[in-house]
Amino acid sequence: MIPLELYILLASTMFTIGLYGLFTQKNGVKLMMCIELLLNSANINLVAFSAYQPNVNGQVFALFSIALAAAEAGVGFAILIALYRLYGTIDLDNINAMRW
Amino acid sequence: MYADYAYLIVALPVLAFLLCLFVGWHLPRGGGFLTVLATFAGLILSLGIFSEIYPDKIIHQSMPWFANFNVGILIDPLALVMLLMVTFVVTLIHIYANGYMNGDPGAARYFAEAALFTASMLGLIFADNLLQLFIFWELVGLCSYLLIGFWYRKPSAAAAAKKAFLTTRVGDVLFLAGIILLYNNLANLNLALKPGEYLLQFPVIYANLAQIAPDQLTLIALGLLGGAVGKSGQFPLHVWLPDAMEGPTTVSAMIHAATMVTAGVYLVARMFPLFYAAPHGLTAVAAVGAFTALFAATMGLTSFDIKRVLAFSTVSQLGFMMAGLGVGAAVGTFAVGVSIFHLIGHSFFKALLFLCAGSVIHAVNTNDMREMGGVGKYMKWTMYTMLIGSLSLAGFPLFTGFFSKDEIIVIAYEYGTLINFLPYIFLVLAAVLTAIYTFRMWFSVFTGKERSDYGKHESPWVMLGPLVILAVFALGFGYVAQEDFYSYLDSNFKHYDLDFVELGVIGGHALEEHVAPAAEGEPVAAKGEHEAAAGEGEAGGEEGPGEPWYIQILPIIVAIGGILTAMLFYWDKVKKFDPSQVTGDKDPIRKLLLKGYYQHEIMTGWFAETVVYGTALICNTIDIKLVDGWLNWLSALVLGFAQHVRKVQTGIVQNYVTALVLGVVVLVVVITLAKEVGLV
Repeated sequence: MIPLELYILLASTMFTIGLYGLFTQKNGVKLMMCIELLLNSANINLVAFSAYQPNVNGQVFALFSIALAAAEAGVGFAILIALYRLYGTIDLDNINAMRW
Repeated sequence: MYADYAYLIVALPVLAFLLCLFVGWHLPRGGGFLTVLATFAGLILSLGIFSEIYPDKIIHQSMPWFANFNVGILIDPLALVMLLMVTFVVTLIHIYANGYMNGDPGAARYFAEAALFTASMLGLIFADNLLQLFIFWELVGLCSYLLIGFWYRKPSAAAAAKKAFLTTRVGDVLFLAGIILLYNNLANLNLALKPGEYLLQFPVIYANLAQIAPDQLTLIALGLLGGAVGKSGQFPLHVWLPDAMEGPTTVSAMIHAATMVTAGVYLVARMFPLFYAAPHGLTAVAAVGAFTALFAATMGLTSFDIKRVLAFSTVSQLGFMMAGLGVGAAVGTFAVGVSIFHLIGHSFFKALLFLCAGSVIHAVNTNDMREMGGVGKYMKWTMYTMLIGSLSLAGFPLFTGFFSKDEIIVIAYEYGTLINFLPYIFLVLAAVLTAIYTFRMWFSVFTGKERSDYGKHESPWVMLGPLVILAVFALGFGYVAQEDFYSYLDSNFKHYDLDFVELGVIGGHALEEHVAPAAEGEPVAAKGEHEAAAGEGEAGGEEGPGEPWYIQILPIIVAIGGILTAMLFYWDKVKKFDPSQVTGDKDPIRKLLLKGYYQHEIMTGWFAETVVYGTALICNTIDIKLVDGWLNWLSALVLGFAQHVRKVQTGIVQNYVTALVLGVVVLVVVITLAKEVGLV
């Protein structure tokens, strides 16, 4: 059986990559992908802990999380498409009409 | 039986008001027939009630309203004669208005407002407590405002409406102060009220007057007098009444001659026991009334606008009524009968005069008497009915005005022998002037040459009919009704728990003086209740046998002399003098009168524009700088602070993410530290 540490390592790596992306990227789609990474790293943790501690709660919770992520992605991309139609770009630095 | 439906007298005009207001547009002539019918039904009901309670019953119905107040109907002799007069005169005026307002695009609005006015005036008359009276009093004021400003697109009409509203408001504030003061004083007595009795009900007020401190009574009386002065156009709050002629002539006839302006006189008559008990209360009434009577008459002498002449005459005649009540200090409740008799008679002939003037204006299309002249050739009916009205107003023997006005002068003489001759002198002079200005108006309108090219036709019968009916009353009412009227009105206060001798002592009307003219049938209470009302009243009706013959003859001489004077100046057939020779344009007195004693200059020019505007300016500055100022400063402070804080929202996603992560890190660190230390 693969030790738990490896799962945690994988999850933290994914999380860090996602966070790095959030800090550095300006493209809306890339940001969405980074957010997916963050969410899925959390899912890996949930499933891993659930398997090592015989209890299905974590897996159920991961399913909820996936459904949530799908909904979030749907809304997020819809917004991005609307933004693109309006501004012709999805570079978030250029989208600041509501700023002071 | 009719008494059970007394409330309908008010309810029906209210119904007519609602109907005219909402569906009047779709009805012929703006639904004017509804208003006529509602008022006419009121007249029938009033007559029915009259037949039921005359001569010695009263109707009193009441139901609780809220807290210490009630709504109720009180129909005693005083209210009954007023009800009959108002429903009768107003019905005729509404009929006339159906002709006069025909074709006016606002006819529906006119009839709605006129119906509301009728309802509020009638409600005012038979209110059984002061609060209810005050509410209807204000409603009447509102209707007056609406109707004066009926042609609201005309700036002068809008200004006149505003002036009327604001001026009467001054009086109303005093009136309200008087009511509050009266309520407080009554409440402080801790009366043991029976169920169904309320503090501000007139019978309760009457019964407990004697227990209130005299100086408080005087204050209350002055407050109520203030209200009456405002509503009845007495000096110094009379300025609105001549301007109120901006409304349609029917409004002038209905509100500013026959009914509404009499509300002030009615109030004083209604509260007569209070004025009687208050030291100097009636003296103030007499002084205001007598002065106004003369003051307004002099202005009527020089006005060129036919309606303004009549308006000044109304102010003057209301002064007569007030003075008539005021001299009640000498003659007791008899004065109420005399004054209200003049009120009723005046409403007949003044409504008649106004409607005649309306008929003339309708044909000639101008108010200016200088552009009329010779109208009589084309308007025979109007001319003769107006002649009857004028003779009545001037006090020509055997006309209504003769009996009523001259009786006031006679009792003023009585007041003079006992207390002070000034009111008498003022009233006699005013009577001379009344005869002069009335016939100056009549001669310059109907006789002589045509001074401009005007419409030459008689008015339609819907307008002439009311004129003829009113003329009959202006002619015969005084002669027929005088004696019964005095005795009936004299019996008014016998229905209540009142002792006029006791009140007279409080009011400082010395007892001997009070009893001395007992032959005139005046101190009702002093004689006890066994004496029949009729017997006393008849004695009172005999023109006061106590006066020397020349005092009784004087009013006749005065009236005829005044008419002759006017004839010599203004009737081209017997003209002896030219007014312009006697008083040129430079004559200071003529100028003074023509300018109305510079009241406009003083009231509007100086008082309104300097004092009121100056005060308003100061208040405005305080309001802006101080009241608004600190609030604006506070909001500016918050805004200025926010101006800096909002910079945090950069709109750059990375900054937000940084803040998010930093926040999580800080939270984690804080919670870990807290655990280490053992806080959590």
